[in-house]
Amino acid sequence: MAIPSPYVLRETGSNLVRNIVMTVAAVVTMAVSLTALGGVLIMRQAVNQATVQYQHGVEMIIFMEATASSQEISGMHQELASMVPGQIQRCYYVDKAHAWTEFKQIFSGEPDMVKVMDLQKMPPSFRCVPAKAQNVSVLANQFQKQPGVLDVKYPGQAIREELARFATLRNVALVVAGGVMLGAIALVVNTIQLAIFARRREVAVMKLVGATNWFIRVPFMLEGLTEGLVGAIIAFAVTFFARNTLASFTGSNPFVPSLPLYVSPHAALLTGIFVVVVGALVGALGSGFAVRRFLSV
Amino acid sequence: MIRFDHVSKTYKGSVPALQDVTVDIQRGEFVFIVGPSGSGKTTFLRLITKEEPSDGGEIWVAGKEVGALPPWKVPYLRRNIGCVFQDYRLLPERTVYENVAFALEVIGRSRHFVKSQVPQILELVGLGKKMDRRPNELSGGEQQRVAVARAFVNRPLILLADEPTGNLDPATTAGIMRLLERINQYGTTVVMATHQHDVVDAMRKRVIELDHGTVVRDQARGIYGMVDA
Ligand SMILES: Nc1ncnc2c1ncn2[C@@H]1O[C@H](COP(=O)(O)OP(=O)(O)O)[C@@H](O)[C@H]1O
Ligand SMILES: [Mg+2]
Repeated sequence: MAIPSPYVLRETGSNLVRNIVMTVAAVVTMAVSLTALGGVLIMRQAVNQATVQYQHGVEMIIFMEATASSQEISGMHQELASMVPGQIQRCYYVDKAHAWTEFKQIFSGEPDMVKVMDLQKMPPSFRCVPAKAQNVSVLANQFQKQPGVLDVKYPGQAIREELARFATLRNVALVVAGGVMLGAIALVVNTIQLAIFARRREVAVMKLVGATNWFIRVPFMLEGLTEGLVGAIIAFAVTFFARNTLASFTGSNPFVPSLPLYVSPHAALLTGIFVVVVGALVGALGSGFAVRRFLSV
Repeated sequence: MIRFDHVSKTYKGSVPALQDVTVDIQRGEFVFIVGPSGSGKTTFLRLITKEEPSDGGEIWVAGKEVGALPPWKVPYLRRNIGCVFQDYRLLPERTVYENVAFALEVIGRSRHFVKSQVPQILELVGLGKKMDRRPNELSGGEQQRVAVARAFVNRPLILLADEPTGNLDPATTAGIMRLLERINQYGTTVVMATHQHDVVDAMRKRVIELDHGTVVRDQARGIYGMVDA
């Protein structure tokens, strides 16, 4: 199928300009919906990072000194093992290398933070699932005084609150994204319908002289695709540049509570690409629907 | 070139528009379809281009059975058929040149082809000097010439004209008829629906008369009214 692209581009362009108000409305609603969607994804990444050390039921982390000797570490190993299963359900050891990997992941958006740390400065730790969650503070106090222990953290309540806060935010944002998306689709369909109506004479002549269905449809579908794409690019820009603000809505940094959460540019970029793909798809499908419905060929 | 074989057509919720029509039109013929308003002339033409499906019978156009044609092939059928209407159906925002060029552009013809064909065809219809006018700056006869040019620019095998002179005065009508005759002489099969007696009588071409959707007369070198052949 040979479509001379100057023709298609000219038609798409003039379609978009003809009804500028509707086009802008479609683009803006698309952008709002996709921003909400992108925001959820960004926040989810932030929360996953904040809770990465506390997954699989871990409620207590015993951080050893970075300089702790191997005797101190194996001593802790044995002591913890002796408390299973009465007081502790299970424990696992996170060595320096693993801690360093985790650290770099959490601070991948902040090269300055990564620069001042290094593998040797990372504290190894024991991540423990207590037998009874309510005993965690007693256990923590007990280990705090052991030789070689830097600190014991048991932020169970904080983590649970953080996850709950995220779940609420996510549900609200997804409802907004879904609702506004319905509006955006309706507006895309409507702009295409208006464009088809405005060009009904041309369309009639095209059918008469034997233009193929796709030749007639493509300019209208490109119009919808463009609307989706432009809306998505706006949403992409918002979510990308506001990523740390969005992340901070869900909680604070797991290492340094006074610092906000970070989302790396890389992760935000992937989210943005996803958002753009969704926008383009919705635009194309919306206009595809409109073309099928209103452009009988 | 066009063959109707026991073709019938009834629109939804309407009386039959065509009933058991059997007609054979050869390549290069000039044929009038006559009959009063509502007799089925337009329907006859719309079945040829598959703007409407038939209910029964077979319609052969340029060697293809139209009823068996899948939808995606219909545009290619129509590229062999030029159409002219009583109301011209030109695009008002486009110039004469652009109106004719449009018909080629939208079937993917090259820019070079368009540039060489359009002026040539506009010369043929006598509008070589008015290529940059818009339809509303032309007389009815001139607008119909543009429509004929658009229908003919792709050199179709068949030209269908539905009451093309219905809005024109006698002198202008004669000009359009000469133009159609000329196109016919180039080898294009012309089928023209009309209910104007004088037009048909002046030409002495084959006449197919419809009445309430049935063929009541098919006469070579006929006139409008029913007289001895
Ligand atoms: N789109 C349509 N829907 C319903 N009935 C139609 C339609 N087009 C034509 N008809 C009917 O079909 C019959 C033939 O109409 P038509 O082919 O337009 O005749 P003509 O062109 O000779 O005036 C008429 O009775 C008319 O009312
Ligand atoms: Mg008619």
